[in-house]
Amino acid sequence: MTTPIYEVRGVSKRFGAVQALDGLDFHLCAGEVIGLLGDNGAGKTTLIKMMSGIVRPDDGSVFVDGVPVVVNSRRDSQQIGIETIYQDTALVGSMSIVRNIFMGRELTGRWGFLDHRKMRDTAVDVLRTTVHISGIDNPDKEVGDLSGGQKQAVAIARAVYFKRRILLLDEPTSALSVRETENLLAYIKRLRDEQVSSVLVTHNLYHAYQVCDRFVVMSHGRKVFDVSKADTTIDELTRHVVLT
Amino acid sequence: MSRVSALPKRGFNLPMGEFRRLQRIPGGNILIAFIAIQIVCVAAGLAFPAQFRYLASANVSVMLQAIPTLGFISLGVGVLMIAGEFDLSVGSVYTFTAIVAATLLNDFSVSAWIGALVAVAVGAAIGLLNGLITLGFALPSFIVTLGAMLFWRGMILLLHGALSIGFQPDATFQSVFGGSVGLLPMSFVWLALLCVVFHVVLQHRRLGNHMFAVGGNRDAAYAIGIRPAQVKLIAFAIAGGMAALSGVFSATRVNSITPVGGAGLELQAIAACVIGGLSLTGGRGSILGIFLGAALTYTIQDVLLLMRAPGFYLDIFVGALIVGAAILNQVAWRSSRS
Repeated sequence: MTTPIYEVRGVSKRFGAVQALDGLDFHLCAGEVIGLLGDNGAGKTTLIKMMSGIVRPDDGSVFVDGVPVVVNSRRDSQQIGIETIYQDTALVGSMSIVRNIFMGRELTGRWGFLDHRKMRDTAVDVLRTTVHISGIDNPDKEVGDLSGGQKQAVAIARAVYFKRRILLLDEPTSALSVRETENLLAYIKRLRDEQVSSVLVTHNLYHAYQVCDRFVVMSHGRKVFDVSKADTTIDELTRHVVLT
Repeated sequence: MSRVSALPKRGFNLPMGEFRRLQRIPGGNILIAFIAIQIVCVAAGLAFPAQFRYLASANVSVMLQAIPTLGFISLGVGVLMIAGEFDLSVGSVYTFTAIVAATLLNDFSVSAWIGALVAVAVGAAIGLLNGLITLGFALPSFIVTLGAMLFWRGMILLLHGALSIGFQPDATFQSVFGGSVGLLPMSFVWLALLCVVFHVVLQHRRLGNHMFAVGGNRDAAYAIGIRPAQVKLIAFAIAGGMAALSGVFSATRVNSITPVGGAGLELQAIAACVIGGLSLTGGRGSILGIFLGAALTYTIQDVLLLMRAPGFYLDIFVGALIVGAAILNQVAWRSSRS
């Protein structure tokens, strides 16, 4: 087997009385799309946040390309090439779409002044080409004025623009329409062809089955099932999610 | 490129379109209100030069002298409000740091230049301390700086006493910070200069963008790789430093410092920011708005005095102005949404 591009071994995380992750092993190979499944409270979002660097594990180790690394902040995970679409979208409602897309990673010209024109043009381009969301006609619009689906589109556009190796998607389709969801799933497949790996957290097994190569089912912070698409069916996956 | 025209879809004529565009820039509503009030005042001043002495050089000079005191403080407080925090201690810091500069000059023969620098550094340090306590213990800055306001007010009385203190800097210092160019006081020139600098930082530098992000949604900013604590600490330090700067300018202008002089400035500064369209919950505002908010507060007071309103009733009108401006901003904000 090839070395996974990303792997965690025995990670644990406790929030007060809740054991969110309990000695979890998980790995991801280049160009692989993983469906991360499990009921509410299984630890999926904690795993995504840990991979993104905004939650620190209490225990366990992380390997990138087989080399042990320490991921203590969002900056560390950014260096690894991880982009995340968070469940709560992580957008600032009082800022424009453009400013949200480039938040924390603003494009600057000489002397470090913000290059507003370049950011705006890029934002228009990304919104038009990658996520076909209706109704976003003006990138200067405040994010707080957008609908749920449009907000999600902005979060997706941001992750997609900066994507490098690994894309983490935590419930990305919850506010999207059917057509927008199809577009996003098709886009994940296209990224796989460019060797970008994805982890898709979803409650919709049909969506997961459509795009994922492998499925990981979590329960109470542990991995309870790990199977490639060829070896399973939707029914079997459903049983594991519901019964464990 | 799908650039959307600034003109509304319905058939407004050109001036209305310009008006709408003005409304849309940050601080635009307050600018419109400010211009309207100035037009009325100037017209009244021209029509009744004897009764309403708005344009008399003495009046203009007094107003331009008065605005910077609140202006400097409001700039700092406003930047901090945009980053999502308050500083109620700026009034005390304003006096405390000015006394530091005066004591250095009077008792230790340290030049006013160094003294002013030390004062601003002390102000920034006090701001930083407020920030460290606020963020370190995850407390509301409102409470922490309320405590700081009383603490530093008490420290003034403990270390210095209740007597006023003289501040007589050398002639160069006096002319650079307390002089004037024609009708324009140097303090106003410096305020204008700092407004430009602050505007550039907020709108065209990463730091400014991060302040809006952190003030708008701290968790989102953190999730995307911004360090909210670092950004907020810088804003706290700016608020303290600007309060000190204001104190030094005022001390230079009147050549003395009253130990209770700064009381109330913290609330006036927040009021000026609210009038200028800043959000009390952070993440929203503009330097233009802060400046006009401070300027408008004094313009209204000045107009009332010129109309011979009794001085001690002034607060009634200033209070009404604050609430009125807040309502106006809210209504304008809602209508821009629909």
